[in-house]
Amino acid sequence: MPLDQVSNNESAEEQSLVPQLTASAAVDMKVLKAFEALQADDGSDLIVELIELYLQDAPGRLKEIKEAAVANDWVPLKRAAHNLKGSSSNLGVRQVADICEKLEEAVSPESFEKVEALVQLLEYKFDKARQALAIERQRRLG
Amino acid sequence: MTLKEATPNRVLVADDDPVMRHLITTILKQQNCETVVVNDGRAAYRILMSDSQFSAAILDMTMPFLEGLDLVRYMRSENRLRRIPIMMITADLDIKLMASSFSAGATAFLSKPFTPEQLQSAIRMLLGNRKTIRRAA
Repeated sequence: MPLDQVSNNESAEEQSLVPQLTASAAVDMKVLKAFEALQADDGSDLIVELIELYLQDAPGRLKEIKEAAVANDWVPLKRAAHNLKGSSSNLGVRQVADICEKLEEAVSPESFEKVEALVQLLEYKFDKARQALAIERQRRLG
Repeated sequence: MTLKEATPNRVLVADDDPVMRHLITTILKQQNCETVVVNDGRAAYRILMSDSQFSAAILDMTMPFLEGLDLVRYMRSENRLRRIPIMMITADLDIKLMASSFSAGATAFLSKPFTPEQLQSAIRMLLGNRKTIRRAA
């Protein structure tokens, strides 16, 4: 399924593949802002640092997922989805985390089409999250 | 008193997720801990082969080259590492995985997502556990 179809028909896609996904924002800012509790007094912004680290690391994980899906290589796909799920869920990037969990459960030779569609949906949702995080980073940097 | 005794809380952190490494080390530094940080299981294993001066270890369950659970088994098989409290971090709240961790010898288990307070509290308990072990020894 082409990505534009996933994007244009997002609701149907979500209903069929990831029914637990809601229409919530790409990033739950409450989760992210909770880390303000750990803020140091040295002028640094922990949340900006976490956003930057996530945005540096996650595209590599996504690339691993895409390459493994194309190669039908389920073990690395599952591992990369598992890793991306962990960092995403902890920063409030819930839709990406939810799709990663679905991917972990879906990977098998019998579910190639489902995996393919989930990977495309993941790319789309990650892009939304990336934009939201970039805006939050910029806002915090003033 | 030796230099090592003067810095009692020295913690090994092994996690391939940079976000997690940054969060954990931020909290540890706030608690005046010294950290030794690696991003895969093999690097942690290499350090542990020659260095046992750790107050605690915080290990990701799923890491490249060597899994966290294998590291726990290694640490519990070595007399010099046996008393170091270990916290496992995982992306899943999986009861079987938790049972395997405790069975292998882990001291604590934390699954994502967690709040900053939960992570702070888990680290405090882990370091407190070390004191308990020392008193009992």
